[in-house]
Amino acid sequence: MKQFVIIGNSAAGIAAIEAIRNKDKESRITVISDEDYPSYCRCLISYYLAAEIDEGKILYRPLDFYKENKIDLLLNKRVIHVEPKKNYIVCDDKSKLSYDTLLIATGAKPKFPQGIKGIKKTNVFGFRTIKDTKDILGQLPVTKSACVLGGGLIGLKAAYALKKRNIEVKVIIKSRQVLSQMLDFEAANIVQRRLEDNGIEIILGQDVTEIIGNGDIKAVKLDSGKVFGCSMVIVGKGVQPNVDLVKDTDIKVNEGIIVDNRLQTNIPNIYAAGDVCESFDLTKKSYSINALWPVAVEQGKMAGRNMAGDSLNYDGSLGMNSIEFFGLPVVSLGIYKIKEPGAHIEELKLSNTKENIYKKIILMDNIIIGAIFVGDIRNSGVFLRLIREKIDVSSIKDRLCRENFGYPDIIDLLKDKECIYV
Amino acid sequence: MKQLYYDVDKCLGCKSCEIACAVGHSATKDLFKALKEERVSLPRKKVMHTRGKNYPVSCRHCKDPKCVDACMAGALSYDKEKGIVLHDETRCVGCWMCVMVCPYGAIRPNIKTRIPLRCDKCKDKDEPDCVKACPTGAVIWQEEVEIKL
Repeated sequence: MKQFVIIGNSAAGIAAIEAIRNKDKESRITVISDEDYPSYCRCLISYYLAAEIDEGKILYRPLDFYKENKIDLLLNKRVIHVEPKKNYIVCDDKSKLSYDTLLIATGAKPKFPQGIKGIKKTNVFGFRTIKDTKDILGQLPVTKSACVLGGGLIGLKAAYALKKRNIEVKVIIKSRQVLSQMLDFEAANIVQRRLEDNGIEIILGQDVTEIIGNGDIKAVKLDSGKVFGCSMVIVGKGVQPNVDLVKDTDIKVNEGIIVDNRLQTNIPNIYAAGDVCESFDLTKKSYSINALWPVAVEQGKMAGRNMAGDSLNYDGSLGMNSIEFFGLPVVSLGIYKIKEPGAHIEELKLSNTKENIYKKIILMDNIIIGAIFVGDIRNSGVFLRLIREKIDVSSIKDRLCRENFGYPDIIDLLKDKECIYV
Repeated sequence: MKQLYYDVDKCLGCKSCEIACAVGHSATKDLFKALKEERVSLPRKKVMHTRGKNYPVSCRHCKDPKCVDACMAGALSYDKEKGIVLHDETRCVGCWMCVMVCPYGAIRPNIKTRIPLRCDKCKDKDEPDCVKACPTGAVIWQEEVEIKL
């Protein structure tokens, strides 16, 4: 009987389990996680911190999921080494486990910039796991004000949640805009205004140099010399893939573990998926880490099917994200900012400042390579499809930014034959 | 299993299906009363007009649903036997991932309720309300077929 081992119990890991079990009911599947919690909705921790959902809602799959799928689940165990030549892994408790096929879905961990003095103090938190969330929750009763470092998704989500808990929040952002990894300046401005209107203070273009306080945190100091008092710091300075376990092996790693279009690493019986892997990016046309929940599920599913004997090709990942703050929805797809405008590049824009609506579509040689939607995100999935399928949109360009643009406008351009309109 | 099909040539764009859908999913199931409900019921279907034709757009309950994969709250699942994407609204947080990935633009965000609007095939009724409401027979409810154009 075949032994599958899956390291990681989140989006990619669970998707792989379901994909394998869809095809193969018999083989052994062992899942190892260094967290002490069954699979949960990682992206929901901010909602949990904000008290918008209770803990029961955070489980991603029912508790009997593992039993139903005949999974050996090993929690609270960290895999410290993979031995590709001998097909086994080593855990932190020295135990070894052999595999026939391995999936590395170890995810990523928050970056804690070592340049910031005092970054290791207590009450400086990352915001990634349910444990982080519970640690933060534990401190809330004695917290009046907090500083969030970083204006990316994690930072802003944390700030939102703390604000909902009536904690005074300042977000300190090194770059000149919020969400610089998913929005252009104009879109970011709308989001920033919405956050500020709801009482979240945003400080742009400045970085924290020191977290001050003996024992308890008292303040943070910025490179401008300014000092803000606070008793809690949440660090949202990006994540780095958990690749330590493949160090000193033949498995190819750049920043993440490199996978091909089958989600296979350079070692044939080892696959990688999710935030730990670096895959071909459809819009950037180069290898990239797209550490996003839907991408992780997509990759886990594809890896699982191939591990179970299919031979499917993954067309690649792309940056895509959807968020909502205080009733303002935002979607970003693919390339959202053009660094050097060229003859082949075109930008279509619609901006309605009064209504807080902003749309931007970026085309290269009449093929959409990215888009931003703020305020009105209807039909964004249609754009994702146009990006994915690399469809020439020259015949419908004038309609792309219209409010009533939708799927019927693209029917004639698709490769798939329409199947419900007679 | 039964699916919704549309005879586009027969669709006048009268939006009777939209109204029937909104009323059918309201608390009171009555047009006048529905308009006064605290959370006004919105249609899960939209008739879109392009190039001289009308196309009713709603969830197709894809066999390999992208929305289910993208749902970061575990609120969506696919019921193979019934051929329907199930939406557990109690688990939904309104992150709009499903809206972002729907290749048909068939899921619409309801910003007020933070719950997306999507067709549920009127799963507890004998046939969907839009089918009954269509005055021209443009909405067709029948066993799955492969349409050859």
